Amino acid sequence: MAELSETSMLHPGVTVNKPVKPSYLRNIRKHWMLYVMILPGILFYIIFKYIPLGGSVIAFQNFQIMKGIWNSPWVGLDNFKFIFTYQDFYHVLRNTALIAFYKLVIGFPAPILLALMFNEVRKMLAKRFLQSLFYLPHFLSWVVVGGIVFEVLASGGFVNAVRGWFGFEPILYMQQEQYFRPIVVLSSIWKEVGWGTIIYLAAISGIDPTQYEAAVMDGANRWKQTIYITLPALFPTILILFLLNIGNFLELGFDQVYNLLTPMTYSVGDIIETYVYRSGVLQGQYSVTTAIGLFQSIIGFILLWIFNRLAKKTGEGLW
Amino acid sequence: MKQTFGEKCFQIANYVFLTAAAFTMILPLLHLLAVSLSSPVAADSKEVFLWPVGFTFASWKHILQSSGLWQSFGVTVFITVAGTALSMLFSVLTAFPLSRREFLLRKQVMLGIVITMIFNAPMIPFFLTVRELGLMNSLWSLLIPGVIGTFNMVILRTFFMSLPKELDDTARIDGCHDFRILFQIYLPLSKPVLATVSLFYAVGYWNTFQRAVLFLRDPGLWPLQMKLRAYLTSPEELAQVNMFLGDYNFNTTTLKAATILFASVPIILVYPYLQKYFVKGSLLGSLKE
Amino acid sequence: MRRQLTQKIVPLLLSLAVLLVAGCGASTPNAGSNEGTAGKGNSGAVKVKVFKSHMGIGSLPAADDPHVKYIAEQTGVQYELITTPPGSEPSEYLNLMIASDELPDILRPIGGVEQTLIQQGGALPLDELLPEYAPHVWESIPQEAWDIVRSASPDGKIYYVPKVFLVPERAPLIRKDWLDKVGLEMPKTEAEYVELLKAFRDKDPNGNGKADELPTSGREFGRWMDHLFAIYGVAMWEGYPEWDEYDGKIQYAGTTDNMREAIKFIRMLYEEKLLDNETFLNKGEVWQAKINNNLVGSWYHLPANVRDRYNAMLTQAPDAYIAAMPLPKAEGFEAFVTQKSMGEPEWMIPAAKQENAPNALKLLDFFYNSENDEFVRFGLEGEQHEVKDGRKVIIPPADNKPLALGMKNLTTADDMNKRIEETYPADQQQMVKDMFKVSTADARQIAGDGLPASVYEGYPDIQSHKLFQEVLTKIVIGELPLEAYDEYVKKWNASGGEAVTRRVQEWYEKVKK
Repeated sequence: MAELSETSMLHPGVTVNKPVKPSYLRNIRKHWMLYVMILPGILFYIIFKYIPLGGSVIAFQNFQIMKGIWNSPWVGLDNFKFIFTYQDFYHVLRNTALIAFYKLVIGFPAPILLALMFNEVRKMLAKRFLQSLFYLPHFLSWVVVGGIVFEVLASGGFVNAVRGWFGFEPILYMQQEQYFRPIVVLSSIWKEVGWGTIIYLAAISGIDPTQYEAAVMDGANRWKQTIYITLPALFPTILILFLLNIGNFLELGFDQVYNLLTPMTYSVGDIIETYVYRSGVLQGQYSVTTAIGLFQSIIGFILLWIFNRLAKKTGEGLW
Repeated sequence: MKQTFGEKCFQIANYVFLTAAAFTMILPLLHLLAVSLSSPVAADSKEVFLWPVGFTFASWKHILQSSGLWQSFGVTVFITVAGTALSMLFSVLTAFPLSRREFLLRKQVMLGIVITMIFNAPMIPFFLTVRELGLMNSLWSLLIPGVIGTFNMVILRTFFMSLPKELDDTARIDGCHDFRILFQIYLPLSKPVLATVSLFYAVGYWNTFQRAVLFLRDPGLWPLQMKLRAYLTSPEELAQVNMFLGDYNFNTTTLKAATILFASVPIILVYPYLQKYFVKGSLLGSLKE
Repeated sequence: MRRQLTQKIVPLLLSLAVLLVAGCGASTPNAGSNEGTAGKGNSGAVKVKVFKSHMGIGSLPAADDPHVKYIAEQTGVQYELITTPPGSEPSEYLNLMIASDELPDILRPIGGVEQTLIQQGGALPLDELLPEYAPHVWESIPQEAWDIVRSASPDGKIYYVPKVFLVPERAPLIRKDWLDKVGLEMPKTEAEYVELLKAFRDKDPNGNGKADELPTSGREFGRWMDHLFAIYGVAMWEGYPEWDEYDGKIQYAGTTDNMREAIKFIRMLYEEKLLDNETFLNKGEVWQAKINNNLVGSWYHLPANVRDRYNAMLTQAPDAYIAAMPLPKAEGFEAFVTQKSMGEPEWMIPAAKQENAPNALKLLDFFYNSENDEFVRFGLEGEQHEVKDGRKVIIPPADNKPLALGMKNLTTADDMNKRIEETYPADQQQMVKDMFKVSTADARQIAGDGLPASVYEGYPDIQSHKLFQEVLTKIVIGELPLEAYDEYVKKWNASGGEAVTRRVQEWYEKVKK
């Protein structure tokens, strides 16, 4: 490409970064374009994010839809009290945190691993074909996937058929508590892992091939190349995705759990979102659900704050 | 290059695993295809697995002939193309300054943006805001309120930050200003991530549904997902008795299957096309020649 | 280099702009034309905006739609139908309409919106308006129903027109042909019923040589197996315990001794594999497939909806025949089929639309006037129905066909008979009518009929029956002992059940009078 050849005359030795801190005015004068560029973005965030976010005050109101935000009565922390005195609150929070934790520990690394595995497929056509198949389940809704999970695990389903070949009695997995969380984690991996690899594959394709060439010269095998070149190159991407994830730690997504839950697994699978559904959607309690949302966000923000500080020690954080 | 025995074993295991897993990923879609081509009786009786039983095109005919569907298809294609273009423009313009050390407000702005990602606005105030801006019942309501996806924007920013600093130092020596650094140096080097983020946006716009339900009253503006939802949400028990004695070769089960496929296959086809931007070395390889 | 930049960017932006303008330009005339036609309307007719959710497939009728025009000629009121867009949550949609002051003139509330409107002063009292502007509505709905409506508001006024359904819609169904095959009579007692189920299990009534029969089955959350509860006199509505009189007081059926016995019985059926062991995992369509596939002998459903299932059965079992089962007697219990007939809100008028209320009621009255029955049922020829062999046949809905507004929701046994005759082939009509005969004989209107949802306010776990579903399913599958039921009753009371019961009893005092 034409413009590439022009920029390729760079001299890696030259650095002009100086730690001298220029005054704001001089900086703005020199880089005014950066400030112009970001203006539409900032406007967007103010108008469509911050202004509606102000509506969160209904968490401190008894919001009445006929009266609107301006005229609804203020109730202080009553809605939060209501949540924290809900007798199953601790239970629901625990279920949420546990599932979130498993999803993070097992579900988060899965696409990284898969991306590395794709990277080992040498035949270009096979690689592309496999990748394309892996991302298909992302387009199925949880209603559909939930139905599939129930049928695969039914007494006449695939899993029990396999057990049957070995002479085992069928197990009704979906109505046994101990299987619920693994099913949630595995089904979400199955559905989203291929989609999740896309970012990593893009990042892998950005790795300078000369690094691999040099490594091969030094006699490094594929395994060592993966450990010493690919993974470190992916690290910034992994870190950022981790931070983006952790902020929404307690938000598991209603659809999945709702579509997999049965009364027999309530005690391990009732999570914040399913509770919000019962109290908010079924009873129209906007104030309570907003309060719950605020609670989730505050926890998420604290976690993000902690991990962002840690991240800054190893490299770049989110801010 | 020679492979060690261990590497060969790994290669074989890798292929076997990936192929087997990929197989499970495509089965549901093949099953839906078979159901959509089956007779309603067979479909309701769960006789269909991967091959249609009582083969018929009736469901597809019914869906494809329903008027307004192609208009919705057009709307969806339009918002997908226009939305992705707009989103990419705004996201790049926001991400780039946030990736620059020269932009002094970088940390504060970034923190402000991250907060909006964690704290979600309640629905009613969001709805009222969009309404106050006069975007109700116009396609702008699908494009503008979500024009920047924070996740995508952060991905772009991260990628910009990972580009070697030497790049713009040279550019600066050449006297390039910020706009030109972005459009002439950074963007051409960012093809994989631009392709990725475009894909994320495009899929998002293609699946636009919630906002359309909130903001669009005129059925002529409804995107595909909304139009097709009519078949997906027919309440089974609430529905009045099926009022008709005519013998139909489709029912909600077969229509649902056809609907899911029709609504997702076009966008699924985008990815294989974008994959060509994922070729290794497209970035720095060409740079260091 | 500068030139190069502008060369690249400007066309990009330009084409983008063109694209956007073109796209939105294309959309505006569309929206405009709709409004244009609505504005013209029928000269002289007053416009009334009607909100009704769950309208199914079809387009919204314009002002020049023949159905709209016909009603406008008859009543002087031109209806403008507003409905929820496909896939939206109707109650959320209504709430947004309220929040943005875009209320219709008359609406069918959903998801408890009626209570929001009544409690926040947004509903118009109809006590005086109804007799004046909607006499047919006022007279055709039984007085008892109006009393229940009055009981649902704090000030005892009528804020909505209730739905009235005078036939039991649900019935225990059984495979008559299976009965004959195993050589047994219709069971009269619980013991005979169990014996019958055992025969279903062991004697291969579907004749495929496999022991794959599921004598009886239900659905996830313990739904649609009400017949098993009904034997023990438990008021049950599609798997949700209802409120009825027990020991002389109105109570939640889900905590009674009757329920305890019912659960004990169901647990036994499950253990003996007489109840489909996958009952609590059966999604709706899986359950339906089992019935269609000649696997289920006894179940609970809507006789009026049996047609598709029956036709599916016939493809594999040509002599299949479905009958309703009179409830078997259990010693010491009075079995009945739960019937809820009235009190559910059907139409209400927002207080802000008081001015147009007379017109809205005139429109509503048209539908309840028996002179218009034929039109309400069939609409216009060529639009809503066509005549085949001298019979009116309703044209199926289609995406591009305008919806026709219906406002009447009052079903009598007579209406039901007509509906069966319209929707079933001649040779199946008697079968379905017989089912209704049986279920009507067993049906009883429960004490909690018409109970407003507001009694549950603040206690979502009581309203959603979560605690009940958990204890029911776990005891039945053997995960918990039957004694866990007693603990559950205590927990239910402690988590708000007691408070809700008090509210229900207060409400009942008002209704009973």
